[in-house]
Amino acid sequence: MPIDGTTNLLNSDYILILGKGAILLILIFYAIFSLIIIRQVSLMGKTLITGISPIVKGFVIIHAGFAIGLIVLAWGIL
Amino acid sequence: MFSSYIERPQKCSFEGQDPGENILLLLRAHPITNFSWIIFSIFVFFVPFLVPKLLPFTGLNFSFIPANFILILLIINYLLFLTIIFEGFLYWYFNVTIVTNQKIVGINFDHLLYKGVDLAPLSKIEETDSLTAGIIGTIFNFGNVKVQTAGASIAIEMKNVPKAALVADMVLDLVGKPHEHITE
Repeated sequence: MPIDGTTNLLNSDYILILGKGAILLILIFYAIFSLIIIRQVSLMGKTLITGISPIVKGFVIIHAGFAIGLIVLAWGIL
Repeated sequence: MFSSYIERPQKCSFEGQDPGENILLLLRAHPITNFSWIIFSIFVFFVPFLVPKLLPFTGLNFSFIPANFILILLIINYLLFLTIIFEGFLYWYFNVTIVTNQKIVGINFDHLLYKGVDLAPLSKIEETDSLTAGIIGTIFNFGNVKVQTAGASIAIEMKNVPKAALVADMVLDLVGKPHEHITE
């Protein structure tokens, strides 16, 4: 079966490496975003002090840990 | 603490609260205003279930994508889902207006890189306006309240707060009363 240029490009490792790079970039931006959330929730928690604020802060810290861990996971499995 | 209209909230304070200053009212946008992002987040949640059913109609072959890439794309989709929920909840939760026996404090959290605090002493308030408009606003009884102070256009605007007319009236009733006499 003849292989045209498009099929060849899609099946090549090149596109997968590009995909891996794009995914890692997205995850790095997401990790930065999750750290910004921690900072902002911390600031807002000082501005509006309620019983829920520490729970929200704890949740966003876990979320940031998850986001950073995901970069390592993606680096490993892709 | 997840209510949008709380009179004399317990275990609640704010930055810059003076001794003897009591919170009379804590206001947030009506919970129904969260409906749009909740619906969008539900849609995003179900995207991985919808995509495999819709792909055959596109006529494209995506079988070259390895399984590990699909797994990561799936996780990214759920990160997007989490982001929508975070952004929506934090926006709603931290956008509050606090009415104390001394002033009105408007805490604004328009997006993740913005924090604004507006203060208006009760003694400077000249006028309050309320506006309840639209089908949803009328059904669920919420609207905007604008508080005008001397020399300024609009000092504080409370958006989509429940019982807008009552809030506007309550704020105006507080104006002119000595701080120590304000009990309700």
